Amino acid sequence: MDEKVPRSNIIETEIPLGTVHPAALEPYRVRLFVEDEIVQEAEITIGVNHRGIERIMEGLPVEKANSLTEKICGICSNSHVWNSCRTAEIGLDIEIPERARYIRVIMGELERLHSHFLYLAHGCETVAHETFSMRVFYLREIVMELLAMIGGNRVQYGCSVLGGVRPRCDLDEAKLERLKTDMDKIEEGLNGFAQRFLADSILISRVTGVGVIPQKQAIKLAVTGPTLRATGVARDLRTTMFEYDDFDYNIITQADGDVKSNLLMRVLESFESIKIIRQAIANLPEGSLVNRDWEMFDTDIIESYIEVPRGTLYHSYALESGRVRHCIIRTPSMANIGAMQYACIGDHITDAQLSIVQCDPCFTCTDRAIEIIRR
Amino acid sequence: MFKSTILYSVIAVILTVLVCFIISTLLPGIERKYVHARIQQRIGPPVTSPGIMAPIKFLFKENVEVSSPVPGLYKALPIVCFIVVLCVLIALTPYSFAIPALSSLVAIVGFLKVEEICYVLMGALSKSVMSVKMPFPDVVKGAAHLNTTRSFIEDISARRSLRMITYGSFPLYLALFAPVTAARSIFLQDIVQYQHVHGPFLFTISGGIAAIVFFIGYMIVLNEYPFSIIKAKCDVIEGPYMEYAAKYRSIIFITRGFLMFTLGALFSVLFIGIPPNILSPSILINIVVTLIFVLMMGIFSAFTPVFTNRQLLPSILGATLLGILAIVLGLL
Repeated sequence: MDEKVPRSNIIETEIPLGTVHPAALEPYRVRLFVEDEIVQEAEITIGVNHRGIERIMEGLPVEKANSLTEKICGICSNSHVWNSCRTAEIGLDIEIPERARYIRVIMGELERLHSHFLYLAHGCETVAHETFSMRVFYLREIVMELLAMIGGNRVQYGCSVLGGVRPRCDLDEAKLERLKTDMDKIEEGLNGFAQRFLADSILISRVTGVGVIPQKQAIKLAVTGPTLRATGVARDLRTTMFEYDDFDYNIITQADGDVKSNLLMRVLESFESIKIIRQAIANLPEGSLVNRDWEMFDTDIIESYIEVPRGTLYHSYALESGRVRHCIIRTPSMANIGAMQYACIGDHITDAQLSIVQCDPCFTCTDRAIEIIRR
Repeated sequence: MFKSTILYSVIAVILTVLVCFIISTLLPGIERKYVHARIQQRIGPPVTSPGIMAPIKFLFKENVEVSSPVPGLYKALPIVCFIVVLCVLIALTPYSFAIPALSSLVAIVGFLKVEEICYVLMGALSKSVMSVKMPFPDVVKGAAHLNTTRSFIEDISARRSLRMITYGSFPLYLALFAPVTAARSIFLQDIVQYQHVHGPFLFTISGGIAAIVFFIGYMIVLNEYPFSIIKAKCDVIEGPYMEYAAKYRSIIFITRGFLMFTLGALFSVLFIGIPPNILSPSILINIVVTLIFVLMMGIFSAFTPVFTNRQLLPSILGATLLGILAIVLGLL
């Protein structure tokens, strides 16, 4: 696969899109430098939704800071609070009850399903295939209801707490049964979607070879998550997370790094998530949900990386008298912005938003963190 | 006698246009409620909403002053489009057959071309806040390129409209001239009379092929998915219509439904030989044909993504070749 070279010396016209644009679900500005409607270079600017949550977290008691991280993102809210708790748990050497670990995995995988379905729906909407988009949204609705059943809300579930999960997120027999039934429904629906998607030659022609990110370039740009795996790199942090030790699943990769590969990547990963959830339901251990037998002490900077639906999520902070210090949060989109800009190059202007969307941007997450550039 | 005939004809034309107009207001609703919404398994809007209630609502909205270098012309363009479509429908009524200059295919093609040119002007004259004027610091510290020429996204739309005039709507015009090859006349009266004698042109091989080409052209002229490159949501958003608000947007909504009906009636005249006439029960056939077109367009657009040049050019080329084939077969 040839590397695309930005023709930065021949720029005919600049077309700025955003920060408000119907194809972009979030506020960001993209400057497209085009020549005869073909993008020669793209420049994404974010920061209009900045709230500086890291700064707000500074000095807060760790439990409060953990809850606050849930507000970073509306899609992967559970991942943020999970990783934030995980950071403190690593630093304070807190052991998590088995049952809580399983419930965290179930929540994490349900969130992956809902994020991937949102991605598929948004991808189809960006190519203006509203029918497919609507059908995926109906599938996503089942997942959203399951998340609401466990967490009590459709977006902010407040599942993880320091030492385990909240008791209200426990799974009784009725909830487990519903989870099981709904997994079957989702699998059936997803199978149908995948078959129709692959059989639609017009749609396939529309997404094949668009927004290509070669593997070499993806590694160079430090791309993470499914976007990296869609270029053929089998890198998934779940393989390094102790929470996933008991589960059997495959790392999905695709070869081409284009929009089609990315869409298929999410479909196939969703099947793996269903597999993990089924294993968790079948082997859910008995026992307590939260370990309260731990002591607070000061720690050096603690780091935790987890695999969230869109890539690698990094949380780090130090603890001082039970309060958070030196907090840094890095969301996957921060790493993937370079890939988004690169993916647009060489494609038609109509495909620019699609090329950005294929990298699964979540700028509302990214905007709320602080990036300090030292010159 | 002559005066009463004129008066009778004028009243008949007005009534025909009025009835067609009322029916046309329901067409966008039928497409959205009974086709798109049904396919997408949702309830959809009330059938009267897109074509009747929305235009009425917009009529009473306060207008926002447009951002255009020539606001007068820009605001007049939706009205021009509506008048053009009205003229086409009037030309299709049997009472206009007495005016050959109006009821000929050359006049109809001319009217439709004016309607297409309006999109170019709309796009070129629109300078909305959605791109360059967005109050956002584009050229930030560290930006890769400074001092570049900057363009409004409606400019892309204008260029695309021009491209559609050049080759995009070509299949429709080829399909329009296919019946001419059979009737050996460009006048609608002759085409209709030919079909009264020889049966509908639609049921010939040439007519069947031309009907397919007409349908593709119908979708192109109506800027419907997958051919809606001039108002693709993924880049140019509403394209030429971006700045229209209140009564101007209302006229655009009305014109779209009216154009749907008029093109359906055009098909009835050229391919079945039935002109729209309120005083004849055959107007029901015009309505049915229009409904079939709307339903087919709805189904097709619900299952297709928006095209880029990569798909658009082969599609138009294919349709053009089919159109040429229809004409050649018609000449044989």
